[in-house]
Amino acid sequence: MPLSKPDAALLILGHGSTENPDSSQPCWDHAETIAATGQFRSVHCAFWKEEPSFRQVWPMIEEDEVYIVPNFISEGYFTRQVLPRELEISGHTTERGGKTLHYCDPVGIHQAMTGLLTKRALEILDESVRPEETSLIIVGHGTGLNQKSTEAIKVQVEAIAASGAPFAKVIDAYMEEAPFIADWQTLTDTPNVIVVPFFIADGLHSYQDIPVLLGIESEPTAAASQREVFRQNPHPFGDRTLWYSSAIGTDPSLADVIVDQVAYFDEHYRA
Amino acid sequence: MNLADTLADLLTREIRLSFGEILLTRSPAGRYTAIHAVDEGKTTGLEPLESVRELREMAKNDAAGEYRPLKTAPGLKTGWTSTTDDPREFLRRLDAIYPGLFATWLAYDRETLAPVALRDTLGRQTGMYRFAGSITDEMAVRLRTELCGRGCLRQIVWPIDPGNQADRAPRTGGSLPLLCTEACTFAVNLARSLAKEAYDLANPPAATEP
Repeated sequence: MPLSKPDAALLILGHGSTENPDSSQPCWDHAETIAATGQFRSVHCAFWKEEPSFRQVWPMIEEDEVYIVPNFISEGYFTRQVLPRELEISGHTTERGGKTLHYCDPVGIHQAMTGLLTKRALEILDESVRPEETSLIIVGHGTGLNQKSTEAIKVQVEAIAASGAPFAKVIDAYMEEAPFIADWQTLTDTPNVIVVPFFIADGLHSYQDIPVLLGIESEPTAAASQREVFRQNPHPFGDRTLWYSSAIGTDPSLADVIVDQVAYFDEHYRA
Repeated sequence: MNLADTLADLLTREIRLSFGEILLTRSPAGRYTAIHAVDEGKTTGLEPLESVRELREMAKNDAAGEYRPLKTAPGLKTGWTSTTDDPREFLRRLDAIYPGLFATWLAYDRETLAPVALRDTLGRQTGMYRFAGSITDEMAVRLRTELCGRGCLRQIVWPIDPGNQADRAPRTGGSLPLLCTEACTFAVNLARSLAKEAYDLANPPAATEP
């Protein structure tokens, strides 16, 4: 039976960007999808770097019960420190000003992500290419600010490998900590390599920064929505071939994952 | 009274409300319309934008195609109109242009939302923004003047220091104020830059040994 919260609000939290116009789009898209189902009385988004901000959003929400789902990949610096601080919440449930605020797990640690990452990798690979001769790299941000930031990716890499997915090798790599994605050619030894960004949006990092680190672009391009043609696969590098997918967070199934995190909250964290 | 009904009630009484760069009206038949204020009086040539998504897209970039991450920066596109007879939908559409600004004004007016002093906002920052709290009073004034004063249409109601609450900002008839109750990400970012600049000036790199 589908989840039904006719008296509650859903608040989806995103990072957003002051530089890239596409960063917040997946949050808005998933919010629209969920709102159309009528499962919640209202559905809102709030952002760290866009509007409404985490600080601005509270007056917009009129319901007394609010489920807060971070549309973030990892349980790290943002979900453990920045979001609770800015939202003035602590623990799983906060009672404040007559409202009950439930803080759910971020989407990136949901078990469905394993299947979504594998599906995304296989669907962009040309039919003529054998996955057995292909390495899959799941790329994330990585930061020294919180050791848990890379955990979600490491968990997914292990889960994909254990799932019997047909790739020769599945590894993790990061923008800002080792193993660095810029070293993809030495991190892998197969003729084909697929890189799937474990990011929420085709934004600044996944669309503009990582292609430079991979060598697909010599310098950051304009944002995806400001270019006439989305980047085309594959990318030849000598005798090797690279495929680069769009961010996993753009998959429409993420709307189901967001709702699932609310259901998970009720099952596991609700007192 | 909820947010949408309050907006409907205000427009029923005042008919025409100026809200930042936009103009809100209610027709005698109870239809709510938003247009850019410069388009007032135009009866043709305005593009109808009849969904939240279309309005959010319209407000995303300026007329030159430049991204507008700060929705209250001047430069909202002109040449559009949006009409509905549902106050809830009308509020959602306004939120696509000025996210949360109507609710912010109402909460401030009802005294359920207290402005947050700049030093409190900066003082709680961590990570790359942790130095933002070290700005001087002079830098704080510069921030308000150069960043907020020139690049944003909101009226600041937050004080620099927690002990100095600003005077209440009353609404004048015929308009809804765009209020700033707490410094935004752009202000925090500039505070960090100013603090870093001052630190770098006071701590120049050591001269290289000959």
